[in-house]
Amino acid sequence: MSKFRIGRIGMAVLVVLGVMTAASDLLAQFQPPGTLGVLAPANLAKPRPKAPFDITGTWLHSRGESERFEPPAGFKLTPFGQKHYDAAAAATAAGKIYRNDIGLCWPAGVPIMMTRVWPIQMIQLPTSVFMISELMNSLRIVYMDGRKHTDPDIVVRSFNGESIGRWEGDALVIDTTNFVDEHHWIFDRGGIPATDALRVIERIRMQNEGKRLEIEYTLTDSKVFVGDWKFVKHWDRVDDRDIAEVECLPDLNDHMPTVHSSDNVRQ
Amino acid sequence: MKIFRLGGLVAIALCFVVTAFAHHSAAGVDTTKTVTHEGVVKIFKWANPHSYLEIEVQGKDGATETWNLEMMPPSYLVPAGWTSKTVKAGDKIKFSARPMKNGDPGGLFVSITLPDGKTLGQTAPRGGGAAPTAPAAPAAPR
Repeated sequence: MSKFRIGRIGMAVLVVLGVMTAASDLLAQFQPPGTLGVLAPANLAKPRPKAPFDITGTWLHSRGESERFEPPAGFKLTPFGQKHYDAAAAATAAGKIYRNDIGLCWPAGVPIMMTRVWPIQMIQLPTSVFMISELMNSLRIVYMDGRKHTDPDIVVRSFNGESIGRWEGDALVIDTTNFVDEHHWIFDRGGIPATDALRVIERIRMQNEGKRLEIEYTLTDSKVFVGDWKFVKHWDRVDDRDIAEVECLPDLNDHMPTVHSSDNVRQ
Repeated sequence: MKIFRLGGLVAIALCFVVTAFAHHSAAGVDTTKTVTHEGVVKIFKWANPHSYLEIEVQGKDGATETWNLEMMPPSYLVPAGWTSKTVKAGDKIKFSARPMKNGDPGGLFVSITLPDGKTLGQTAPRGGGAAPTAPAAPAAPR
């Protein structure tokens, strides 16, 4: 082969590769064949600005802070949201537990998984942040390599949602959408469901010389409530903890009287 | 600490019953009451996210009831002195628990007295958790 032909073939290959890796064409799911995943060495090696901080570590929601995502002052619900809210209030008044889906092993999903008593281990790479909660080993992958959210018409929806992250000044900003539409709650006991309209934006800053994370949450779910709900929560670094396998097994709950009791309102 | 020297009687590390723990609610539990029963261990399961005990208790009328006690995960039992072999099926024990409001035989585990007379509780998540519902002993050092 002449040098000239090799050069043209080489250029063609580069163009194809360039198109395939062009960030604006990439969706989080259903990538074209050959697209680089977040752990592909070539993706990891791409030149990127240095991250303002490294979130890698074991983190635990700060005790003494509410773990709940409760309606803030002045909240307004849609009729759909109000129906659940009122049913939950009636259940609570009767000493019952409203829609304890998590107790039945439905995943908590985002945001509830973020404030459990179980630690979350996080690993930060240039392309992504992996978050694994100890409870049910729920996994979030935050895509930081420029890909965009998947088309809502083809996305496979999930409890933890689809997270796209970027650095903005000193903050890690995560935009999560494409959630499931059922058995998913923002505040289960209080009757605030999460629907496929839920969007969660997290602005995460590191504090106290890397010992604390502050997370500012902004939640919108136009099927459930009007406007946006904001919360600020903190995590502490727990260097003396690792996570174990924690499954929610079908027969475990046979032995959990709180899950089985007739005090649970299922519908 | 003196409390740990009360030979065989009390080895409770912490008596918190953390009703807001983990992924489900204890709204169906009467956290104002503690019941105590004697029985025979049927099952002791050492597991995440919850360990549990099933204990056969003979009622006054002679009928047997199986009590279902929900416990903390092993990471909160080990500091309180537990191992997976602390109890086994067939052991005659005494237990205390926060009972179910609806009268079902079961509830949240508080403490157990073993055949050798030793009593064990369980610890609470770091930093506390729900308000204490039983007199607290100091936490075991971690």
